[in-house]
Amino acid sequence: MLNNLIFIALPYAALALVLLVTPYRFLSNRLTWSAYSTQFLERKFLFWGINPWHYGIIPILTAHILGFAFPGLFKPFLGNQQTLLLVESFGLGLGLFALMGCLILLLRRVNSGMLSRVTYGSDWLVLLLLVFQAGTGIYVSYFLRWGTQWYLHSAVPYLWSVVSFNPQLGYVAELPLAVKLHAAGAFLIVAVLPFTKLVHLLYLPVDFLKDPPIPYRWRTK
Amino acid sequence: MDVRAQIVMVFNLDKCIGCHTCSISCKNIWTDRKGAEYMWWNNVETKPGVGYPRHWENQERFKGGWVVDGKSLKLKAMGKGPTLLNMFFQPNLPKIEEYYEPFDFDYGNLAGAKAGDDQPTARAFSQISGKPIEEIQGGPNWDDDLSGSQIYAAQDPNLQEKQVIDSYASMFMQYLPRICNHCLNPACAASCPSRAIYKRGEDGIVLVDQEVCKGWRFCTSACPYKKVYFNWDSGKAEKCIFCYPRVEGGQCNACAHSCVGRIRYVGVLLYDADGVEGAALKGDAELVQAHRNLILDPRDPAVRAAAKKNGISERWLDAAEKSPVYTLVKEFGLALPLHPEFRTVPMAYYIPSLSPVLSTWGDTHKLLEHGMIPALETLRVPVGYLASILSGGNREVIEEALKKLIALRVFMRSANLKKESDSAALAEAGLDAAAAKRLYRLFTLASYDERNVIPPQQREEQDPERRKQQGGFGILKKTGRGR
Ligand code: SF4
Ligand code: SF4
Repeated sequence: MLNNLIFIALPYAALALVLLVTPYRFLSNRLTWSAYSTQFLERKFLFWGINPWHYGIIPILTAHILGFAFPGLFKPFLGNQQTLLLVESFGLGLGLFALMGCLILLLRRVNSGMLSRVTYGSDWLVLLLLVFQAGTGIYVSYFLRWGTQWYLHSAVPYLWSVVSFNPQLGYVAELPLAVKLHAAGAFLIVAVLPFTKLVHLLYLPVDFLKDPPIPYRWRTK
Repeated sequence: MDVRAQIVMVFNLDKCIGCHTCSISCKNIWTDRKGAEYMWWNNVETKPGVGYPRHWENQERFKGGWVVDGKSLKLKAMGKGPTLLNMFFQPNLPKIEEYYEPFDFDYGNLAGAKAGDDQPTARAFSQISGKPIEEIQGGPNWDDDLSGSQIYAAQDPNLQEKQVIDSYASMFMQYLPRICNHCLNPACAASCPSRAIYKRGEDGIVLVDQEVCKGWRFCTSACPYKKVYFNWDSGKAEKCIFCYPRVEGGQCNACAHSCVGRIRYVGVLLYDADGVEGAALKGDAELVQAHRNLILDPRDPAVRAAAKKNGISERWLDAAEKSPVYTLVKEFGLALPLHPEFRTVPMAYYIPSLSPVLSTWGDTHKLLEHGMIPALETLRVPVGYLASILSGGNREVIEEALKKLIALRVFMRSANLKKESDSAALAEAGLDAAAAKRLYRLFTLASYDERNVIPPQQREEQDPERRKQQGGFGILKKTGRGR
C-alpha cells in the first residue's frame, strides 16, 4: 500500500503536474515566473540562510541527477572504497550545510516584520518540504551508509523503470522507511514545483555568458 | 559609421523650481501600485545633498557603472563568474532603508475613531508591513531644500568646499531632477543574467522585459544612477520606461509634459553606435567631448545617407534636424551629461545652473559693476562642484557653458532695456546675436512643439495591416507573490 503510494501514485502524479502545469504557467502568465527574492526587505538572516542552502543543495542535486542520467559512468568510479568514503563525507557535509541554510530560511520567516507581507502559504510549504528533504537525506546518508553506491543499484533503475512507464517496485520495495520518505519528499517537491517559486530553478541564467553585453531589440528587423 | 537614433531629454537646471510635479505625474501613472510604492522613476533632489536613494553617487558602496580595464570596459561590480556565484545573495543590492520605507497615513481614523477627549490623529503606517511607524525615517526627498544640511548636504561627495554649508551667505542650492538616462552603454542591461533588459533599436529606450526578468537583482546596483528598482511584490525589476506608450504616439513624457518650470526638452539625437565603447573608454576629463563626438550632425549628407541605410526614416531625420536637444547638447555645448565618469554614456543632459544669481549681501558695488548679472568668478556655486556632477571633473566645459549663459543674459538684458546690445560678451563666449535670439526663445517662450520634437514611431509608419493586432490594452495579467 505505502509502496504503491510512494513509488507509483506519487511519481506519476508529480510527473503529470510538472509536465502539464509548467508549460501552462509559462504560456499563460510568465509575470509570476520569478525567484521572488526577499533580500530587499531582509538581508541579515538571509545571508546565512540562502548561501549555505544553495551552495549545499546545488552540488547534491546535481549528483543525484547525474547519477540517474549516467549511472554507468559512476559505478566503476565509486567501486574504490577510498573514493566512496570521500564522496560520502563530502556529501554529508554539503547536506548539513544545506539543512542549516533552509532551517535559517524557515525561522527567518517566523517573526519577520516586513517579510510577513511577502510570506504566503506556498513559501511555508516549500520551506517545510525542503527542510524535510534535507533532514531525511542527512539521516539516510549517516545511518544508511554508502548511499552513493546503492542509489545507483536501487533508486536509479527504479526511476528509469518509472520514466519508461513500467515501474519495477522490486528495486525499492525493501528499502528502509527513511529512504522511502526521502523519495516521497522528492516527488512532492517535483509536484509543487510548477505552482511555487521553485520554478526559478527550471531556468538557468547562463545566456549572458556568451551574449554581447548590451541586448538590442528591433521592432523592424 | 553605424547611425542610430536616440530620444533624449535635456533639463535646464536654472529653471527647475523643485516643485516635484514631474515626480507626482510619473508616480500617478506608473508606480502607484503594490510593490512600487517606494519607487520614483522620476525624482527631484536638492543639491548639495545625498539624494535618493541615499548616497547613490557613491560607487564604492553600490559598485555601479563601468570601469576601464586596460583597453576594455568592465562592470565595476563583478564579472560573469562572480555573477553566477552571487546570484542568491547580491552583495551590492540597495536596502529598502536606503530609499525609504514607504508610508501612508491612517486617515480613516479621523472619521472613524471612537468618541473621546482627544482629537483623533492619522498615524503613519508602513505600506509594506502595514504596521504603525512611530518615527518616519526617510522619504524620497528627505533632504529637500537643504533640510538637515549639516548631515546630508555635508555628505554630498561632489562638494569639496564643505565650509560653504556653514554660512548662509555662502550657501547655495539647486535642484536635480532625475530619470533613467536611457544610456548608450547601459550597465543595467549588461549586468542582467537573464537578458531581460534591452535597448530598443529604433529609439534607444531601455526597458525591462517583465516576462523574462527573474528577479536576480544585479541591475539595481549596476545602474550607477540607481534607476532600476526591485518590486518587492512582483519579484521583478522595474524602471523608467521613458513613457514609451506616450512617446510612440508623439506625446512627450508625463514628467516633461507636466513640468511647471518648463525646463525639459525632448528630441532626437543621431549617434554613431560604432563609437560608443571607444567614447566610454576616454579619460574622465575627455568624456564630455567624447559624448559630443558621438553625436552626429543630422544635416550632414553622409550621416543622412548612412542613417537611411540603417532604416531611419525621413521623418525621424527631419525631427533630428529640428531637435532642441541637438541644439543644446551639440551645437552650443550647453547641456552636459550627468556623471559621465560612470561610463554608461547617459543620454539625459543638464544645462548647469547660474543660480543663485544675485551676489552676496554687501557686494553691491560688484553687482553694479556686472549689471546685476554676476561674472563667472562671482557665482556662488563652485565650478568644481558642477564639474564633479556634470563633466567628470572637467572645469573648462562647465566654464564654457556658464560663460555662454551669462553672455546670453547680459545681451538679452541690454536688448530688453533698449540699451546698446552687448555683443562683445557674446562673441567672447562664442555666440552671435542670431544664436542668442534662438537660445533665448528656446529658454523662455518656446511652445510645447518647440520644446518637444517627437517623431512618429515606426509603428505608425508601417502598413496598417502590419500594425493590426499589435496594439492592445496593456498588461491584463496579474503579477505578484502568492499566485
Ligand atoms: S540610467 Fe541606469 S537604468 Fe537607465 S539605462 Fe542607464 S544604467 Fe540602465
Ligand atoms: S516639474 Fe519641472 S520644475 Fe517642477 S521639479 Fe520637476 S523638473 Fe523641476
